[in-house]
Amino acid sequence: MAGLKIHGLAKSYRDVRVLENIDLDIASGEFFTLLGPSGCGKTTLLRTIAGFQHQDRGEIIVNGERIDHKPAHKRDIGMVFQDYAVFPHLTVAENVAFGLKARSLPKAEIESRVAESLAMVRLDGYQNRLPAEMSGGQQQRIGLARAMAIRPTLLLMDEPLSNLDAKLRIELREDIRDIQRRLGITTIYVTHDQEEALAVSDRICVMNKGNVEQIGTPFEIYRKPQRRFAAAFVGTMNFLPGRMQGGQLTVGSHSVPFPHGVGTGSVEVAIRPENVLLTGASADGEAIALRGEVRKVTFLGREAHYTLSTEAGEIVAQVADPDRDFIEMEGRPVEVRLPLQKVVLFQSNGDVLSAGRP
Amino acid sequence: MMRRRFRYDLWTFVLIAAWVILLILLIWPLSSILRASLLDNETGAFSFVHYFQIFTTRVYQRAIGNTLIAGFGGMAGALVLGVTLAFVTTRFHIYGRALIQTLAVVALVSPPFIGAYAWIVLFGASGVVRKGLASIGISIPPLYGMLGVILVFAFKFFPHVFLITSGALSAINRSVEEAAESLGVSPARRLFTVTFPLILPAISASALLTFVLSIADFGTPRIIGRDFNVLATEAFNLYGGEVGGNPGMASALSIVLIILSMIIVFGQRWVLRKNVYHSNLIKKPERQHVGGVKSVGLHVLAYAIVLIGALPAIIVVLFSFRRTSGPVFQPGLSLQSYEKVISTVSDPIWNTLLFSTVAVVAIVITGTLIGYLISRRPNIATGALDATLMIPYVVPGIVMGIAFITRFNDPPLALTGTGLIIIMAVFIRRLPYSARSVAAALKQVGPNLEDAAVSLGYSPGKAFMKVTVPLIVPGILAGALMSFVTAMNELSSSLVLYVGSTITMPVRIYLSVMDGEYGTASALSTILLVMTVVAVYAAFHLSGRKESALL
Ligand SMILES: Nc1ncnc2c1ncn2[C@@H]1O[C@H](COP(=O)(O)OP(=O)(O)OP(=O)(O)O)[C@@H](O)[C@H]1O
Ligand SMILES: [Mg+2]
Repeated sequence: MAGLKIHGLAKSYRDVRVLENIDLDIASGEFFTLLGPSGCGKTTLLRTIAGFQHQDRGEIIVNGERIDHKPAHKRDIGMVFQDYAVFPHLTVAENVAFGLKARSLPKAEIESRVAESLAMVRLDGYQNRLPAEMSGGQQQRIGLARAMAIRPTLLLMDEPLSNLDAKLRIELREDIRDIQRRLGITTIYVTHDQEEALAVSDRICVMNKGNVEQIGTPFEIYRKPQRRFAAAFVGTMNFLPGRMQGGQLTVGSHSVPFPHGVGTGSVEVAIRPENVLLTGASADGEAIALRGEVRKVTFLGREAHYTLSTEAGEIVAQVADPDRDFIEMEGRPVEVRLPLQKVVLFQSNGDVLSAGRP
Repeated sequence: MMRRRFRYDLWTFVLIAAWVILLILLIWPLSSILRASLLDNETGAFSFVHYFQIFTTRVYQRAIGNTLIAGFGGMAGALVLGVTLAFVTTRFHIYGRALIQTLAVVALVSPPFIGAYAWIVLFGASGVVRKGLASIGISIPPLYGMLGVILVFAFKFFPHVFLITSGALSAINRSVEEAAESLGVSPARRLFTVTFPLILPAISASALLTFVLSIADFGTPRIIGRDFNVLATEAFNLYGGEVGGNPGMASALSIVLIILSMIIVFGQRWVLRKNVYHSNLIKKPERQHVGGVKSVGLHVLAYAIVLIGALPAIIVVLFSFRRTSGPVFQPGLSLQSYEKVISTVSDPIWNTLLFSTVAVVAIVITGTLIGYLISRRPNIATGALDATLMIPYVVPGIVMGIAFITRFNDPPLALTGTGLIIIMAVFIRRLPYSARSVAAALKQVGPNLEDAAVSLGYSPGKAFMKVTVPLIVPGILAGALMSFVTAMNELSSSLVLYVGSTITMPVRIYLSVMDGEYGTASALSTILLVMTVVAVYAAFHLSGRKESALL
């Protein structure tokens, strides 16, 4: 199997820079996810790796070998297209067999792989249908089966599950993950869905405006964001204005010692809703204490969201398994505690100042 | 930014080959016309005297005005008829669609020259229909002059519009129209705000084609126009040399005609400058079932258009079975015209078949490759190729013929009098049809499909053959059919290039009409018509498509 390295990749459409300067190092067999807002260049990056368009500069290296000069069809890189790109003139089975025929595999092998791939995407029984007779989600799955069937050295998937219902999406993402593990295919996966990204990825790359914001494991991306953009884009994050001065962090009227924070100036204090503590709950170690009032309670079943207005600004707290009296708190004053261990500080340029305490 | 490397592949080769072909078969011959237009007939010195005369002589000014009237008039008429027919047959359930298509093809191949003659027989000063109507008290003016020319053009050229636009109409992604509907746009408004803009490439391409065909046609204005002179007839008379000829003037008129057409060509380009729509052909539009008065109305409309269009051809077929004595038709039926044709003039039949088959095979292969290049590899070289390819579109056949004779008369390219020169002329004249229809078909196939094939391990060439070609087969076939039909019926360039042994059917028909042998001409025209229709259906059958090849 194959690792992928990308150095200094840049790409423009005429005079619009779409990819600024991308560096990636993806290990063999890794499931690597690109996560970012619409229009940030994810599709462009995949198409450049696949070789459908040429980068303006930078290198693409697979298994230690530069592939920039190889034509797309010699790269052995499978791709699942965002708009499916299912061949409308071929049946479902012919679509899936298409790439296998190019590899002149024996007929029996082709048949068994087609059957296997179709079963994987839950399309067995549809072999002889034409794409025009299938739903959007089914067409998307044809594209998925077609790319998986050739067992490429590198598999690129551009939002392969975007058109499926929530249940099928979860089932298929687990299946994709299992097959990918079993075959050890290095995979780059694009999605908008953060939960999906967190669930399946070995590592996630958060992109914004053609730049890499942060690369890390799902845990690192969620718990130890290195850039404000990544913190805000993945999951929900509260941001409060604060000030660092002489090892003291001031939020609202409250100051706490913050020895790891260096320098002086305004910072943003970030904390996840599930780490915000309400009255009564006890925190280990030091915490920022704020006075506030409960504005709104949203009951979601296994958890409840509290929208709180505090002296420093509005924040959302999440309480797991809420009791009855918690739900009736709307309009009441409350004391809010932000454990320093769970707090992340960002400088005004978006870089992290200190990701919690050791 | 680093410059993008130029990569050599199949398409680089195609690009170079295409340019070589255009240089040898187009630019080099036509340069002789430009040269002749710039030389004084007497002294042989360089001069603008011919152009000066065109813009100072009344008769030429009138010809330019009339040419524009005939061009725009014919175009408008053909568009209205063709788009209407295409829309009705692709969007509604119409009985006898195959018959309608057949009649449209018949109208399309309505043999040259004699078609105009048939109109005269029907609607001329002593036309059958006119007299019949007069006897029941309806008087219509005879079909001469400007209006007659425009009407004949409209009914002669609408099948082109029909074929081109119905292909595009049936390939529109249904979701797009449904989206418009769900946004509260009424069906009539949707037609003009969504459907027509989506097929603008097809509509404007057929508008251009009919304009160009209208202004290059000299047979119709010659027979029906009377004093409605156009550039093509003036140029033809001057080349014809019955009164000594004036090659310089004729060339200058030809150049003016070409320039006028090229202006329209670039006008169309400008209209389409931002037009790139892709759909994946996944959800095709369905034919609506309508009942009652609406259904009857739609059927009447569709059949009226194709029947009137096919009328000249039908007349010719009927006349071919009439008894003749010399040039005069006698009462009663007979096969004597056919006997005469078989016994004396079977050569043209074989020549026509051979020449058009060879030309069309070459056209389809070259045209498909060039069409792809133009629409999928846009750069300066292919853009220029595309623009140059419009020239054969707009050069009248006579002019092309004369240019070929001038340039291919001496070694190393001494080709006059061979069949090859006729084939070459047809090839270069009809190449744009094929290239354009392929380019138009490609506009509706998303480029991602080919990328998908490449990512599955097919080389660009193979991906093109396996994915793109099957999807644009309707476009290729439509282009091939049009090339074949027009190749079989090619008159004007062959008229200049033929010698006794390479005479073709259309030339034979023309000569027969000129000699007043209408019986022979009708019989020959009927044979030509049958051959064309058979060829069309053979192609359609061989391609193994259940749907008609034409829609
Ligand atoms: N062919 C093109 N010509 C010009 N600009 C383009 C072209 N294709 C994409 N772009 C622009 O490049 C940027 C990145 O596009 P890209 O398709 O890579 O985004 P994306 O991250 O895949 O978005 P999404 O999540 O919506 O699919 C966008 O701003 C887009 O407008
Ligand atoms: Mg995308």
